[in-house]
Amino acid sequence: MPKIFIDDRAVEVAEGLTLLQAAESVGIPIPHFCYHPAFPPEGSCRMCLVEIEGLPKLELACSTVVKEGLRVRTMSPKVVEARKSVLEFLLAEHPLDCPICDKAGECKLQDYFEEYGLFKSQFKEAKEKREKKFKLGRNLILDRERCILCTRCVRFLNEITKTEDAGILNRGIHSEVGIFESEFIDNNYSGNLAQICPVGAITDTDFRFKTRVWFLESRESICPLCSRGCNIIMDSHAGYPRTLPTRRVYRVRARQNLDVNFHWICDYGRYGYAYLDEGREDRLVWKKGDRETRLSWDKAAQILSEKIRSLVHLRKNSRIGIVLHTNLTNEELFLADRVFRKGLGVEKLFLADPPPGKGDEFLLTADRTANRRGLQEVGLPVQAPDLKALSGLDLLLIFGHYLAAGTSPSDLKNALEKVETKALFASHKSGLDGLVDFVIPVPVIAEKNGSLTNIDGRVQPFVAGLSFAGDGIAEWRALLDLARELKVEHKYFSRLASPEAIYRALRKEIPFFK
Amino acid sequence: MDEKVLTRHFGVEGLFRIDVYRGQGGYRAVETALKRMTPAAVLDEVKRASLRGRGGAGFPAGVKWGFVPQNVPKPRYLCVNADEGEPGTFKDRYLMNHNPHLLLEGTIIASYAVGIHAAFIYVRGEYEAVALRLEGAIAEAYRNGYLGKNILGTGFDLDVAVHRGAGAYICGEETALLESLEGKRGHPRLKPPFPASVGLFQCPTVINNVETLSNIPFIVQNGAGWFLKRGLPKDGGTRIFGVSGMVKKPGIYELPLGTKLRTIIFDHAGGMKEGKQLKAVIPGGMSAPILTADEIDLPMDFDSLAGAGSMLGSAAVIVIDRETSILDVLKAVAKFYSHESCGQCTPCRIGTAWINKIVKRLARGEGEQDDIDAIVRLATNIKGKTLCPLGDAAALPILSICQKFRRELEGYLPHA
Repeated sequence: MPKIFIDDRAVEVAEGLTLLQAAESVGIPIPHFCYHPAFPPEGSCRMCLVEIEGLPKLELACSTVVKEGLRVRTMSPKVVEARKSVLEFLLAEHPLDCPICDKAGECKLQDYFEEYGLFKSQFKEAKEKREKKFKLGRNLILDRERCILCTRCVRFLNEITKTEDAGILNRGIHSEVGIFESEFIDNNYSGNLAQICPVGAITDTDFRFKTRVWFLESRESICPLCSRGCNIIMDSHAGYPRTLPTRRVYRVRARQNLDVNFHWICDYGRYGYAYLDEGREDRLVWKKGDRETRLSWDKAAQILSEKIRSLVHLRKNSRIGIVLHTNLTNEELFLADRVFRKGLGVEKLFLADPPPGKGDEFLLTADRTANRRGLQEVGLPVQAPDLKALSGLDLLLIFGHYLAAGTSPSDLKNALEKVETKALFASHKSGLDGLVDFVIPVPVIAEKNGSLTNIDGRVQPFVAGLSFAGDGIAEWRALLDLARELKVEHKYFSRLASPEAIYRALRKEIPFFK
Repeated sequence: MDEKVLTRHFGVEGLFRIDVYRGQGGYRAVETALKRMTPAAVLDEVKRASLRGRGGAGFPAGVKWGFVPQNVPKPRYLCVNADEGEPGTFKDRYLMNHNPHLLLEGTIIASYAVGIHAAFIYVRGEYEAVALRLEGAIAEAYRNGYLGKNILGTGFDLDVAVHRGAGAYICGEETALLESLEGKRGHPRLKPPFPASVGLFQCPTVINNVETLSNIPFIVQNGAGWFLKRGLPKDGGTRIFGVSGMVKKPGIYELPLGTKLRTIIFDHAGGMKEGKQLKAVIPGGMSAPILTADEIDLPMDFDSLAGAGSMLGSAAVIVIDRETSILDVLKAVAKFYSHESCGQCTPCRIGTAWINKIVKRLARGEGEQDDIDAIVRLATNIKGKTLCPLGDAAALPILSICQKFRRELEGYLPHA
């Protein structure tokens, strides 16, 4: 590990790091526009110039590799002056339309000006006029006046999607990012372009003009829309001003995890957040004929436990069926196994999942559920939801609204009509709602705590990024409540009062989760 | 002693044809090098000759060749930089037009010394006739066994191809040249790595100027000592000065390195045109800082000019007379670099354009009091901070003009 001196501070840093990375690793930020950890250094923005002892010129922090004994100054007058001059150049030809720019508040140009600029403009000439709303891609608008030509977008398309859609056209001050006129950036990763643009040049039509970033609260989460388990950030409105009262999440962004999704997420995951607010189950109801009664979860739990208890008492365990899905967390699947299979001797465990989609070569998997690997590792023996096997049961607890998919509505109706009591734990409305006796709203992944196991077997814990409002109950809590009502292994389950506690048990009992 | 080396046979009719060239002793150096010298001996001879690069930077050619690693499994390439784009410079055009085989001979010997089997001549896009002439010469060289497989029965192979640029000044910068040669946009690369280790197609590459390579056959044939005698101890050989501007006889003049600028202008180029008086000289192509009429007693070599705050560059001497407004000179310089900036890095892309906008406004008579200060400040902020040397090439002449001719420039400002 080479020892270097950054601003007179002796630090040991990893071999092969660049000065910029080394400084960052010890908490000294070096401003930059074109550098992005996913790409080799470009060295074109000139913002990261630093002073290296013994060298006459300022050197690039983004491309200079650390060497034993190197002495670097990141805040010397020469460096500060150079940063100021780069900002002066960039801002001279910048439209300064921050008040109408969606990037305002998270723009590197803005941030660095506050930190290193704060000069009065001396630019008296006419700025170059450029295209301000060039449609670059499906969800992408390019504002060429705001563009600082860092070429992150070009490099992303060359090196990550390898579609090579964009390049720099023209020369000198007339340089601009461009694509072939006949083409259009349309790949499943295009949304990343708006995210990696350090300024407001590429904006996302999905987010454009919808809100201000400083109204947003950023919460970490895991994308549940396929089995990759990409790490994400959900930007949501905490309260004022809610322009659209029905919308909570305004944007989903990639969160860096070099073991899972690097710096990226796919568009399917990025733009697929509408499900968070649309079509949600919001009322816990008990239906008797045409009558719907609202009730509390506690009451519903009592009724359901009573039903289970009597069936178990009559040794009719085989007349109980549970339908599960693989968007349940590791903890929930584990509890389902411990409560129903091991605790109550229920053997009829079914699995009803959304149908697979088309995967790609990169992040998106064909499996559109978040936790199939978790199900495998928990070791739940599940079967396909054969309608014949379902019909004639006395009690069916259906988790998830996926049973409706892939079966004809009339067949499903006929089958379920033969089941005496049916309870549905679902986050979203579906054709099942009219066929069951109880509808119990449940949260989605973003609204609860737990963990998911991704396709590669990586267990990723997460906490609720959004609150779960209204009637209803999280599945893990529902399972624990049923166990308590039924007095199944009271001592064991009473210790599992939180997803964290359940996970501890999971780790203890199943080697995979160690 | 006849001072001329490279241009000595320029008067010979049909010199560009291989038989005429051979009649003047051509291709003997290839025989000498390939048949009687090891590559290491050739390299050593060139090193001892202190041949410095003629493209502008003046880097010792032998040292450059020595940087090329010999122990990597990749092929090595030679690129001949014939993208002569520096305003005022036209020496390579003459060399290639009159004596294309001399360049080929140098190319073959250089390739032999470094273990190269493929060479590219990157010719400036506008030099169409030159490209045709080179192609003709290459065809002749192949037919006569100087190129291709098993050259002169020595077992050494070399292929040479001509590639025409598309007319961008930046492609004369060696890494932009490589990008362009690879079929990409001519953007300079970040250094390090240097082309000697990672160059064309990621392979070790030597890039030499036309005039540099044209000197090689003479060094091989006559020895480093002979070559050194024609120049200075650290700066061997002659130099082709391209004189343009307000002189009686503009043209190329091959003279020993260290010849005084005054001698070049007043003796060789015939002095100022009738009725014109010397005001300033740009001594090494447009990117060289300007010299005033009082500074022309300098010897023209790399170190003397560097000592005077200018540079020998491509040895293109641009002579400016008193009737020429310095603002026009500044305008030409600012416009050129703004136009030719590749746009890759911030200070050059925006800085050169900004300066150009100010200068244009000055020229329209709309100057403001602080304009000259602004130009100086902006040029200073470009200097030393760009990705490639084009930034300095723009900043240095602009700074020198503003410094040395400030009073004249101030005459264009509104009077307070």
